Amino acid sequence: MFDFSAGIWYNDGMIAESKLKILTESAKYDVSCSSSGSGRKNEGGIGNGLPDGCCHSFTPDGRCVSLLKLLMSNDCVFDCKYCMSRRSCDVPRASATPDEVCELTVDFYKRNYIEGLFLSSAVHKSPNYAMEQLVRTVKLLRTKYHFHGYVHLKGIPKADPELVTEAAKYADRMSYNVELPSESSLRLLAPQKSKESLLLPMRQLQREKAVFKAEKCKGFFLPAGQTTQMIIGASPERDGQILRLTESLYRVTGLKRVYYSSYIPVVEDSVLPAVQSPALREHRLYQADWLLRFYGFDVEELVPAEENLPLDLDPKCAWALRNMHLFPVEVNRAPLEILLRVPGIGAKSAQKILSARRYATLTFEHLKKMRVVLKRARHFITAGGKFYGSDSPSAVRGLLTAGEARVNARQLSLFDSPSSLGMPLRLEAARSALTGEL
Amino acid sequence: MIYFFDGSKDAFLTAFLLAFRDEHAFLTAGNCQLTLGQESVFVRADPEKARRCEARLSELDQGCMHDLDILLRSGEEDRGQIAYRYFRFIALRKRPVRGMLSEDAVIAASECMRRVTFEVHRFKGFVRFMESESGALYAPISPDNDISELLLPHFHGRIPDIPFVIHDVRRAKAAVWDGVHAFTAPLERAEIVLSADEEGWQALWRRYYASVNIPSRRRLKQMKGYMPVRYWKFMPEMPAAAIGDLPAKERTASPAECEDDAPRPRGSS
Repeated sequence: MFDFSAGIWYNDGMIAESKLKILTESAKYDVSCSSSGSGRKNEGGIGNGLPDGCCHSFTPDGRCVSLLKLLMSNDCVFDCKYCMSRRSCDVPRASATPDEVCELTVDFYKRNYIEGLFLSSAVHKSPNYAMEQLVRTVKLLRTKYHFHGYVHLKGIPKADPELVTEAAKYADRMSYNVELPSESSLRLLAPQKSKESLLLPMRQLQREKAVFKAEKCKGFFLPAGQTTQMIIGASPERDGQILRLTESLYRVTGLKRVYYSSYIPVVEDSVLPAVQSPALREHRLYQADWLLRFYGFDVEELVPAEENLPLDLDPKCAWALRNMHLFPVEVNRAPLEILLRVPGIGAKSAQKILSARRYATLTFEHLKKMRVVLKRARHFITAGGKFYGSDSPSAVRGLLTAGEARVNARQLSLFDSPSSLGMPLRLEAARSALTGEL
Repeated sequence: MIYFFDGSKDAFLTAFLLAFRDEHAFLTAGNCQLTLGQESVFVRADPEKARRCEARLSELDQGCMHDLDILLRSGEEDRGQIAYRYFRFIALRKRPVRGMLSEDAVIAASECMRRVTFEVHRFKGFVRFMESESGALYAPISPDNDISELLLPHFHGRIPDIPFVIHDVRRAKAAVWDGVHAFTAPLERAEIVLSADEEGWQALWRRYYASVNIPSRRRLKQMKGYMPVRYWKFMPEMPAAAIGDLPAKERTASPAECEDDAPRPRGSS
């Protein structure tokens, strides 16, 4: 059809722009964006996987566009308190057909706009119906459209296990969102979901993937594994509790990633807090998450179960300050696992140091040239026996926290309204609720 | 002494042989300000000398010719000198030096190579194809470094059934996959007749881009850090309608005008 107002020709198979808008806007708050972990080959047709992942564009909110993030439908029978697509919310509804989604994916992919598809859905009609639609779409994409690019499928809680297995044969990654870090919060805020409805399919997939690997079957079974997402600040759980759950999801359930999203109040509801969770808390959780996965930390070392991570210091720095007896370490001798524990030295710097010191004794001058960031590290290392830091822990703490994130601090006034305290209750901010699912 | 060479591998290797004994050698593939009394020489590629030099250097470090290929693709003015100092260091130490990350010559070379390979990585995402009437794809790019050839294997592996042209408009050259052969060729200008659907897909892409943005979380600095403005030129989704600091003229040029100020329905609870 020809759109005279815009002067643009639309193919009949193309999805309508208005529909695309609704289905994208309902999907955009899902945090997961990565397209890594799958090395799917091109077997005739279009597309392949890029194990490192690839970002194709960046939006003005600083997030990357890697996958085409879309809902199959935003017409939901569930009524999760925090979600914009929930049944009791008055928003425009739309549903796409499997062919519309496939065509859109292939044509965007061909033009190198996207790295693949991130397909989710509201619980349309019933969990099984919604899941069937997702499975049908991804199957069609793989078999009829011969698409071998990345596909991330969102699992629908309470769908039949057979559908879950079928989906995993065609998708690169699947995710069930844990949503809330404890069972009681889940019961309160997402009454139709239960801990079992989320954890059982995760364990099922983990089991089936292990069998698939052990039997060395042909084809693929979730090559990029599973991920999940939690809302931070909508319920009273502490960082310690959240990170313990995270650690068990990584080490027991074998997840690849856990995403966190700060809670932002969307509707007044007596069971939801009225204040926005600070973005810095989310940031600290991600830092701790990285320490668990790439730096050899255990959650016990980072934070006690009933406490939050400190906001004024990053978790590694906080750990180091509690363990000053282990420092300073000599960069020319310390093993990798110790170097990784030095605040300010990341995985890349540690590797550089390891490589360079095989040929020369490193000095601070060298480290500077190698672009190892010394702002924090200098208090915890010696280079060639020299130490340039401050050795009293309280002085170090003062130096490292000073000037950080204190710009908003001021004396409270009797007449302050919440909005003047840097907690703007803007409509759009409210809308992004939890950046949670749907 | 200043050694000018044309930027090719053979010319570099020939110049390298000449300059090797010269403590104050300066190799350049571009322009360079001559100071009074400074001697200079223009080095022509000598294939026989270049092969000899290549063989000797490869004996010392098997991977060094790959490094040279990357270094010479750099768009930086001093790439000749960076490569010269790196290879001179290999020749002096008589072994691979890429792990000696505290040495100035190695730091300069590895950072220069990283900038080239990082741009390749970025362009795996930032290339934007448009579909021509024949179904072939065409993408103009204007990268900092000469990377079009390095992009070829990636896209060839990804869309083997579709012929495509990646046109580096800055260097007037193109990386081509014609369905059978992959090659590079000089290309000054290209006239493309777009397919009937092309504009429709571009419009849908702009709509998607505008919809997936969360306007309340403006982080332009971060966005521009990840996707520098100089790369926007050939991206149909740019200039982003939602970006407030562009001139008004450009903002309205995009049909993906952001409607996110419209009142939102609220929940009933």
